[in-house]
Amino acid sequence: MLKVNNVTLSFGGLVANNDISMEVPAGKIIGLIGPNGAGKTTFFNIVSGVYKPDKGTIVFNGTEIQGKRPYQINKLGIARTYQVINLFKKMTVIDNVVVGMHSRLNQGYFSALFKTKKAREEEKMAYEKALELLDFVGLKNRAYQLADSLSYGEQRILEICRGLASNPQLLLLDEPAAGMNATEKVELDQLMQKILKKDIGILIIEHDMKLMMGVADYLYVLNYGKLLAHGVTADIQANPEVIAAYLGGDE
Amino acid sequence: MNKLLEKKNPAKHIKSFGFLALLLLLPVIFTAVDFTYGITISCFVAIYVIAVSGIDIVFGYCGQISMGHAAFYAVGAYGSALLSSKLNIPIIISMFIAPVIAAILGALLAYPASKLVFHFLSLATIAFGEITYQLILQSPGGITGNAVGLATKKVNLFGFAFNTSFRFYYLALAFVLLLLAAKTNLVSSRVGRAFVAIRENTHAAEGMGVNARKYKVIAFATSAFFTAVAGSMYAHFVGYISPDTFTNKQSVLFITMLLFGGTASKPGPIIGAIAVLLLNEALRSMENMQMLVYGFLLLIVILLLPGGIFGMIKDLFYKYTHRGGKENAKS
Repeated sequence: MLKVNNVTLSFGGLVANNDISMEVPAGKIIGLIGPNGAGKTTFFNIVSGVYKPDKGTIVFNGTEIQGKRPYQINKLGIARTYQVINLFKKMTVIDNVVVGMHSRLNQGYFSALFKTKKAREEEKMAYEKALELLDFVGLKNRAYQLADSLSYGEQRILEICRGLASNPQLLLLDEPAAGMNATEKVELDQLMQKILKKDIGILIIEHDMKLMMGVADYLYVLNYGKLLAHGVTADIQANPEVIAAYLGGDE
Repeated sequence: MNKLLEKKNPAKHIKSFGFLALLLLLPVIFTAVDFTYGITISCFVAIYVIAVSGIDIVFGYCGQISMGHAAFYAVGAYGSALLSSKLNIPIIISMFIAPVIAAILGALLAYPASKLVFHFLSLATIAFGEITYQLILQSPGGITGNAVGLATKKVNLFGFAFNTSFRFYYLALAFVLLLLAAKTNLVSSRVGRAFVAIRENTHAAEGMGVNARKYKVIAFATSAFFTAVAGSMYAHFVGYISPDTFTNKQSVLFITMLLFGGTASKPGPIIGAIAVLLLNEALRSMENMQMLVYGFLLLIVILLLPGGIFGMIKDLFYKYTHRGGKENAKS
C-alpha cells in the first residue's frame, strides 16, 4: 500500500533522513522506533506532505505522493496524528471529527451559503457519522464539550478519531501513548486492534517499548537519520546494533 | 455546532418572531416618541453590523487580521456611486456589483498575503487600506472627486425612493437579515468549519484535508463583500461620500466594534456596533477624543474581556446555569 524508496532529506548540513526505504501493507501495524532525534517525526512529516524529500519516492497505492501538499495527501487516504497534541481546541469534540471529514464532504461555497437541501442532508449525515466514530473510540459522551476540556489521554484518542474521520487507508500515529496512564494504554492497544479490523494500515512511532513489542507486526529502527535495522519484533529485540543504539553501548 | 439538538424549539421561534416584530416597529416607535434621530442611528447601526460581521468572518472565524477593511468599505461606496452615476446602472444592482468587485480585490490581496503570519498580515492590510485611501484622494482623472467627494443618489426601487431615514431603515433591515442569514449558514457549514480549523491550528487543518490558502482567500473575499455592501449602503444613505470616511481610523473602528462586541458569533458584531455607536454619539461634542476612547476600549477588551461583551454574557450565563454541579455533557 505505502512504499517508500530511498528517501533523503537534509536541513542545511544536517541529514535528517538518509536513504530510508520501507513498506506498510494494509491491515498491519508497522512500528518505527529509534532514540530521540533519530528522524522519526521528520519521516512522518515527509510522508504526510509537510516536507518535500530531496531524493527518493513515496508511492501510495500506485501514486507518487512526494512533494504533494498535506491536504492533498489526506484526500488520497493518509491520515495522521501529532506528537504534540494539535487539536482544534476551541471547537467541540464532534466538530473536530467533522473537520476530519473535510476531504470526504462535497458542499461547496454557494451550497453552504444558501444551505441547500443537499448541503443540509450532507451535514446531517456527517454529524451522524461523527457520533458513530466517537462511539467507536469511546468518546461519544464527550461529543459536545470543547476539545481542550478533555483529559490528555482523551485528547490523544480524539486525534486518532479525527484522523479516522477522513476514512483513511493508512493511519500515521506519532507517539499516541505519550502521557497516557497504564489503563489508557491498554485501551489504546484495543483501539488499534479495532482499527486494524477495518483493514487500515497503521504506521506508529512510539517510545513505550512494551506497547510497541505487543502491537507491532514489524519494526523499523532509525538512528541518526539512517535505517539501522528492520524485522519482526523478536529479531529486533535481539539485534545487538539496536541494543547498542538504545543503551549507548560501545561498538 | 449542536444545531441538531436545537431544531424545532417552538419557544425559540416565538422569541425570534417577537424580536423581528420589534425591529419592524422600531422606526414607528421612534417617530411616536418624537425621536426621529434614533432612526438615523439605527440605520448606521445596520450599516456597521454588516461591515463588522464581514470582518468577523475573516478575523473572528478564520483568525486572519485585517487592519485595512476601510478600503473595501470605500470600494463599496465609491464603486456603487460611480457605477450608478457614470454607467447609469440601477443603484440596487450597483450595490451588488461593487461588493463583487471588492470580493475580487479581497481575493487578489489575500492570495499572496495568505502566507503571512499575523503581524505581517496586519501591516500588509494597513498598507492596502492606505493605498486605497490615497487612490480615492488623488484619483486618476479625478473620477472620485478627490478631496471634495461625490454626491450620491438615493436608492429607488420600482419608483419607490428610499430617501428618508424611515424608509431606508427597512431596506437596511432587509440587507442585515439577508447577510446575517448568509453568514450564519456559512459559518455552520463545511466552509465555516474549515475557517475555524485554520484559526485554531493551521498545521493540523492542512493535515485534515483543508486547503488553508484556498479557505483564507475565501474568507477574505467574503468579508470584503460584506464590508463593501455596508459601504454602498453608507453611500446611498448619506448621499455624499468623501475620503475622510475611509481612513485607517475607520478600519480601527470596525475592529474595535468587533472586539468590543465579541468575535466569532452572530450577536457580537451587533452588540459591538450598537455599543460603540452610542458611545460615539455620547462623545459627539469632543470629536478629537474619539480615537483616545477607541484606544481605551481596545485596551479594556484585550486586558479584561477577551471575549468581548457577548463573551462575558455567555460566561455569566454558563456560570449561572452550571452553578454548583460539575459540567455535564449535553448528550
